[in-house]
Amino acid sequence: MKKHLTVPLLLLPGVGYLLVFFGLPLFLAVAGGFGLFTLNAESRFTLGHYQSLFTDRAYRDSLLFTLYLAITSTLFSFVGKAVFRAIYKIPLIVPSIVAAFLVLTLLDLGGVASRWFGLVGVSLPKLVRDPLAIGTLIALAWKNIPFMTLIIGGSLASINQDLPYAARTLGATPFVSFLRVQVPLALPGISAATLLVFIGNMAAFAIPNLLGPVYPLPLSIHMYQNAFELNEWGLVSAMGTFIGVVSGLVLLAYYALTNRAQRALEGRK
Amino acid sequence: MATLELKGLRKTYDRVVALHEATLEVSDGEFLTLLGPSGCGKTTLLRMIAGITERDQGEVWLSGKRIDALPPEARNIGMVFQSYALFPHMTVFNNLAFGLRMRGVTKKDIKERVQNALHLVNLTDYAERFPRQLSGGQQQRVALARAVVIEPALLLLDEPLSNLDAKLRDQLRHDLRELQQTLGITSIYVTHDQSEALALSDRVAVMNEGRIVELGTPHQLYQEPHSRFTAEFLGSTNLLEVELLSGFIKLPWGDILPYEGNQRGRAFMSVRPEELTIVEDARGQATVETVTFLGSFTHYQIRLGAHPLLVQSAGREKTLGAGSSVRVTVTAFHVLQEVTGVSREAVSA
Repeated sequence: MKKHLTVPLLLLPGVGYLLVFFGLPLFLAVAGGFGLFTLNAESRFTLGHYQSLFTDRAYRDSLLFTLYLAITSTLFSFVGKAVFRAIYKIPLIVPSIVAAFLVLTLLDLGGVASRWFGLVGVSLPKLVRDPLAIGTLIALAWKNIPFMTLIIGGSLASINQDLPYAARTLGATPFVSFLRVQVPLALPGISAATLLVFIGNMAAFAIPNLLGPVYPLPLSIHMYQNAFELNEWGLVSAMGTFIGVVSGLVLLAYYALTNRAQRALEGRK
Repeated sequence: MATLELKGLRKTYDRVVALHEATLEVSDGEFLTLLGPSGCGKTTLLRMIAGITERDQGEVWLSGKRIDALPPEARNIGMVFQSYALFPHMTVFNNLAFGLRMRGVTKKDIKERVQNALHLVNLTDYAERFPRQLSGGQQQRVALARAVVIEPALLLLDEPLSNLDAKLRDQLRHDLRELQQTLGITSIYVTHDQSEALALSDRVAVMNEGRIVELGTPHQLYQEPHSRFTAEFLGSTNLLEVELLSGFIKLPWGDILPYEGNQRGRAFMSVRPEELTIVEDARGQATVETVTFLGSFTHYQIRLGAHPLLVQSAGREKTLGAGSSVRVTVTAFHVLQEVTGVSREAVSA
């Protein structure tokens, strides 16, 4: 295949994924602010939302505080880095509630995705407040992918660069070298990232509250309702303890499994 | 066993040339060293032979088969890395067995071959240890055993002794040479340490600024270097600009020495510190400036008129003091044929 075609094709899975799942939500968020591609109204350009944002005192104060938080935190991660490298980190600085609204705008019936698919005669299934919580899963994954990428990427980057080369000179293909040498050495990072994300997801509130099914509700929402609506603090404590115990059990099971996997990958008995 | 032939290998990084067209032949069972300062392109050349670094142009032939388009795993070349690159999550046994498993060797044969390789490097009792449980010298020997257990056609060694202390380095240098001669394996060794190159090699390729400057046996390169770079890089030397007078050489301080050549004009002459002798003499034309006792020998920094000279004498000889007047005698010398970028063989031809 010609080189000028090979390079874009090789980049497509990575770049395409970034553009669709990270670039598109960003675009929708920006466009929505100007009244375009909104879920609950006709798509029509307006500066009204920004007018409210800048003229209402409460909004203005919130905006300044939000800008302070956003700029300070993003400066630490973006300064000196290429824009492309920064794109995948966007979900890290997007609050869960905003991520939930993005998915809602994109995937709810009548949302941007269903409108676009409708143009070609395809009807999307219910993805928001659906029994399988697909929308919730997408939003949680979107939020956590960069977090996992950073930890696992760092873990892979810390591996001595000569190791895969050594494996290659000993007869391993690039895939075998990755599987037998790099993955086992990155397992501590993979374990840590997985556990941190799992425990965070166990207690996720904003995203399942907005996008999850009406029934059953996740424990985190029950905890909120019992605490602030029913004043049942004992029940809340029980639920919290249960979440903690389950997280602990999963952690133990995960370590047992990864230890076994690591032994198998290392070729130990 | 194998022969290696490199034809015009070239590598650039962006616009910087890391390696100019390198052409080289290595005989079956030969131990050849690539010697040069940091950044001279020796590791780049080694990695291009292994297939780890992609070449811009040129050919690599191993035992008559062109291999430059093959991936590293298909070249049957063993490599010892400067960092050893032992798999930290595997035991010594599994490190050695890795390459054999990749080749589909049976379990029984793997066990036997790994044990033989560990025996070769005197680590039979360390099979179940992890690399972190070994000393630097033991790790180096595991790396060597891992590279040779696959019975490669060619063994590449990238500064494998540079992370060890001096005493261990001397011991392992000896072990390495013995192992290479026992196995008769064609080997290319990369180092910036000239004493390592002289002690280990059948031939040495001196490299500088991405070029093979000179190629020859350790004796040829040390005693009869063609270039200033080689003369200065291999050990210490006194480089003097002299006048050739057809049968004679006129030294910078006026002395005349007999010389077999017929050339006339100016040239550079290399005189090793051990090729100069000094005798205390109140009427001597030189003065001792500093004296450094180094155990088996003593270094004298002397000044003869405007010319600083380094003199080496046996450590047992009576030590002269700084400020002594001395008479200097040149016992041997070599006139350089300053040709760079061309191998010794090419120069001879």
